[in-house]
Parts: sequence; structure tokens; C-alpha cells
Amino acid sequence: MTIKTTLTAIGLALTLPLAATAEDVEFMTWTYTEENGRPFIDAMIEGFDGEVEPIGYAWGEMTRNTFLRARTDTLPDISQVQARLLPTLANIEQMVDLNTVFDRSQLEAMFPPGFLAFGEIDGRQMALPWIGGTIGMVANEQVMEAAGIAEVPGTLDEFTAALVAIRDSIPNSVPYGLATRNNNSIVLDYLIWVWTHGGEVMLDGEPVVNSPEAVAALEYMVMLVEERLAAPEIDRPDARRLFGQGAMGFYFDAPSAISFAQEFSGDETYGQYVQPMATPVAVADADPVSIQWGHVLVMYGDENATADSAPAEFLMHLLSDNVLVPYASAKGVLPTTTSGQASADITSDPYLTAWAQNAGVPRRNTIAGLSNGAEVATIIGEEVQAAILGQKTAEEAANDMQARLEEAMANAG
Amino acid sequence: MARTDIESPSLPRKDAVRLPASPYAKRGGLKAGQGRFGMLLLLPAVAAFSLVILVPFLEALWLSFYRYTIEMNAPRWTGLTNYARVLSDSAVLGSLMTTAVFVTLATAFSIFFGLAWAVILNEPFRGRNSLRGLSLLPWIMPATVAAFLWGWIFNSRYGLINAAALEMGLIEFPQAWLSTSSGAMAAVVITKVWLSIPLFMSFFLAGLASLDREQIEAARVDGAGNWHVLRDHVVPHLRPVLLVTVVLGMIGNLQHFDTIWALTGGGPVRATSVLSVEVYRRAFEQWDIGMAATIGVLWVATILPPAYLYLRQLMKGVE
Repeated sequence: MTIKTTLTAIGLALTLPLAATAEDVEFMTWTYTEENGRPFIDAMIEGFDGEVEPIGYAWGEMTRNTFLRARTDTLPDISQVQARLLPTLANIEQMVDLNTVFDRSQLEAMFPPGFLAFGEIDGRQMALPWIGGTIGMVANEQVMEAAGIAEVPGTLDEFTAALVAIRDSIPNSVPYGLATRNNNSIVLDYLIWVWTHGGEVMLDGEPVVNSPEAVAALEYMVMLVEERLAAPEIDRPDARRLFGQGAMGFYFDAPSAISFAQEFSGDETYGQYVQPMATPVAVADADPVSIQWGHVLVMYGDENATADSAPAEFLMHLLSDNVLVPYASAKGVLPTTTSGQASADITSDPYLTAWAQNAGVPRRNTIAGLSNGAEVATIIGEEVQAAILGQKTAEEAANDMQARLEEAMANAG
Repeated sequence: MARTDIESPSLPRKDAVRLPASPYAKRGGLKAGQGRFGMLLLLPAVAAFSLVILVPFLEALWLSFYRYTIEMNAPRWTGLTNYARVLSDSAVLGSLMTTAVFVTLATAFSIFFGLAWAVILNEPFRGRNSLRGLSLLPWIMPATVAAFLWGWIFNSRYGLINAAALEMGLIEFPQAWLSTSSGAMAAVVITKVWLSIPLFMSFFLAGLASLDREQIEAARVDGAGNWHVLRDHVVPHLRPVLLVTVVLGMIGNLQHFDTIWALTGGGPVRATSVLSVEVYRRAFEQWDIGMAATIGVLWVATILPPAYLYLRQLMKGVE
């Protein structure tokens, strides 16, 4: 055997295992790491005519791992992305403009315009919407009944009265799951309450968080904690757990709140107590607000940017009615495709119908789209925390927040 | 110095016969050969050090002179701008102060309790060896597990402290211990001290093993009480160990990250945001890599003095 033959044999031997284990598609998703989501992802992969390798990271780890993979050139082919984080991730060069993969007319036929806009950045289609809805308030009817609350509160005064009733009638309860621990969660609650009080956080790229309306919103949040109607040390996962355990009356979440309530109550029928409701309004005639929410799917790698590539076919597979509708229905969220929304499973779902009716006027998360959105979220979270923990008055915190945000925006250029 | 056959004492030095060098002799003689062999043995360690520590550090140092954020495809040279920003950033200066408080408290209490526990376990009593073994448990436990354990103890709703205090009627409502600046700092210090006691105890126990018991007994015969024995005999005997543990404790606490992040995430507000947490936030939450690298360089600068002291103490021991 010559040296050349030997080297060729060694080369072949080394490449064989690679060939045997190579997958057609790498799919990065956080749902795969969630106990109630993994079976769905497994079923989606099993139903696809090709080899798919799922790559699971916890939700909070997704962004960091995506950037680390981008810098080491190990990005997956397809990835699940939180819609509000898309503007940040769209800076990754390898992300594919899906207008170059699929016909625009095909996409417009597949999705309602509002949902298709979830994935648009500067005129490019950087993602396709997967599941969607809003971040809105949910009420626990079991808790309301125990506290003697007959109707879902519609105004802030009614809401506050309901919280007092829960505090006074259910020992060791947290009436409202105001996010008070994690900056990223605090920002969402803060945005909704500022809007509810008639204020804004950003106007034309400039912070306006020390307006009378924004200060009033912060004062309201402080009052909730001072009166033990909300509690420190609460993040979204804590709120979901307490809500499912019948120790919380209200909190803000995505439509998937129903699946968390079922999981944490240990009762599959607990969803009957989860009531979507409109965010209480400051004055009776005002429009209730909520925040647009959704998961989108992105593609990485120019080599995948053809409609007949395995990743492109897997993308369409994930958006097909027979895959998407059962998944969305089980999670209690809306499928984003026109045909999926028209399906009998969705139109006959009273929870989803109620959610859509109570969404009020959904608004775009004005923080998430900023290039320094994470820094802005940190500043808002820290100042809101300082106010609700009594380190500063609401006005002082609002003024400090304004000054820090102005500096951050100036540094960001 | 060992003599060789060439330098035989039977021959006067001025008449020494110069023998021809062996064809197998190394250039520079045996000593140089040994030196080269020593360098060869050092190579793997030097390579590993360069790969794992030196190169990343130099890269961080290089990045500290650049602006490099999430939306930038390549770093942009900004000179000393990041350093100017760091020195005028109240958040970073606050983190520096928080780090000083954490390091001081965690080091002092670790040494105090480590020494106290070592003195107790140095006394002969039934079950001493088992207790010594059990005392190592916190050291074996992963730091994040310890953080979650203490997080549960301090939890406002399910926590052990609140349950006990409510049961005893000490508080009317559950208290959110981790939501106050002092409570959160106390929690991270207690957790770190709990993790460090076994290591420090082991150092002190090793030092106490060489303590002359007859000297202690003689002091006791002379009327010395426990406090005087500790002050006049035990502590002076342990002084070299004490110095090393103080320096090692400071270095370890300056580098500490995991339990703080798992327990409080650096909060509430910024109450437990030490430099390691600040670097993590800038790098992996705000994606401001240039600023993160700059704070990292500052962080290394704070570790250098105790590291220098430690190395000097080690070299003294070698000499």
C-alpha cells in the first residue's frame, strides 16, 4: 500500500462518521427546553421529511448563544426568535432576507399584513411570524370568587379595589404579579402602566419618562407594593407559579399564560379559571392597551437561501396548518398564518377568542427596537426598582431615569 | 557544589589535563542541557497558560481601546475613550465600592469562622474525624446549587427564615430579605462565607498540626486562659498561613461571580453588582464588548496587588 493510498483511506475513514451524522437542518429553539414544549418540537421534527437536529437553549440564553455562534461561525440553519428581539438580532450578517428565498406574493398570501410586519426590518423580511398575540392581563376567576369579586375590573379604581379584596381575604397571597425583579420583565409592566396613564417612554427616539403621566404611573406601581397589593422579588416565572397555585389574582403575560397555569396547578382543567381581560383603564372611556407579542422564525446562511433547500422546506413545514395549528392551540396562542387562524380549532377556541377581544389597542414595544435596548431596559428596571423599594420617590426615580436615558441615547449616537 | 572526575583533587589545578570533549556532549555543558530540558518541560504549561489566559487577556486589553457593540461588524478604535467613560461612570465606580465591601466582609468572616472551626476541630473529641469530613460538604457542593439553597432560605414566600420568624411571631408579614440593599449584600456574603469556610478551615488545620502542644500545656500551667493561648500562641504560630489565606481569600472574592448572579443577579437595583457582575452585564446583556473589556482590565488591576503579595509570600517560602 502506498503512502498516497494510506492517506486516502485515512481521509475517507475520518469523513465517514461526519457524513453519517450530518443533519439536513439545525433548528435552534428554546421551546425544546420547556417541559410542555418539547413533545411538540419532537413531533414537528418527526413529521419532516429530512434529518433535523434540535438545538435547545433556555429562553434567557438564546440571544447570547446566537451572538456567540455568529462570532464562531456556528449559527444554526433555522432559529426561533422572540419578535421584540428581532431588531437586535437582525444585525447578524448571516441572517437571510426571506424575500430573496420566497416569492413576496406567496408570503403575503400566507400571512395577514399585521403578522407579516413582525418580521420586517427596514423593508427586508428578516423573519417569518410563527405564533403571535399580545402581552395582556389575565385574571384568575378562582381567586376572584374566593375574594368575592363578581366582575373583572375595568378601571384602575376597580382594579385596585379588587386587589385589596384579594389581599384581605386570601392570606399570604400576592394579589397582582407586578414584575419587580428582572429588568426585562419590569420594562414590559412599566410600559403598559405608563401608556395606561396616558404617558410615553420614548417619543421620536427621545426619552420622556419624567412627564406627569409617567410619574403618575410610577407612583401607582409604588403604591401597589407599599399596600402589599404587589410584592418585591417577583419575576414572570414567579407570577406564573403563584397564579397557577391560586395565590395571585392578576398578572401580565402572553396568551400562553393558560398553559403555565395548567402546568403549575397540576390540573389540566385549570385553564377554565384563566380569564383574559383588558388592561384596566385610567378613565372609563379610554382604550385599554397591550403589547404586541410573538415568536418568529429566522434563517441563517446564504447557502440556505433557496426555496428548495432543506432549511427553507423545514421553515414551510413549521408553518403548515397540520403542524402549526395543533401547536398554537395547545399553547393557547394564535397561529400567524391566515389559513391557521381560519381553522376550526382556532375559531372555536373560546380562550383565544376572548384574548383577541380583550387585546384593546396593541402597541409595539418601543424599547426592544433600540440598538441599545438592553441598556435602556437596565436603566428603566433599576430606577423602577429603586422607586418601588423605597430608595427614591417616584419623581426622583423618574428624573434620574430621564437623565440616565438621555446620556445612554447620546452615547449610542 | 559536587566535584566532577575532571576536577580530581589528586591533580593540582594549574596542571590539570584538559580532556577532549565527548562527541555527545551538549553545547554549553551539562548545566545548559538541563536548562534546555527544563524549558522543554515548561513548554506545555506555557502553551496552556498562553492559550487559556495570556491570549484572552491580551485580546481583552486590545478590545478595551475599541468601541465594539452588538450592531457593529468590526471593532472601531477609540483610544482611551472607554477608560474615560469608565472613570466617569457612576455605575462602574459604584460597582468598585460594592466589590470592596463584598471582598472585605466575605474575606474577614471566612477567615474568622474558618479559624474558629479549625480550632474546634483541632481538639480531640469523639466523632471529630466524621465532623471534619462533613465540614467539607459546602466546598464540594456546586456554587450555584449553594446559591439556590440560600435563595430558598431567604425567599420571601417559601423561605426558611420567614417561616421561622412568622412562627415565632417576630414578624407580621413575610419579609423580602433579598429586596433590600443590606439584606441582599448579607445574603451573598453569608453564602460565600459558607462556601469558603471548609477551604480556610483546611489551611488552618494544617497549620495547627505543627503547633507544639507542650508549649500550650506549659502556658496553661502558667495560668493562661483560652483567649491568651489563642492570642499569644495559636495566632502567632498561624501567621504565615493567615497571610496566605487572607490574600487567597481576597483574590477568590474579587473573582467571585456565580453565587451572586444566581442569588440576586446583582440587585436589587445595583446593591450586589460587583465588578464581575458588571462585566457580565456589559458583555452579555448590553453587548458593549469594548466597555466590558475595559471594566475587565480594571477588575484585573484590582486583583494584581493581592496576587503580587501572594506570589511574594510563596517565593519567600521557596527561598
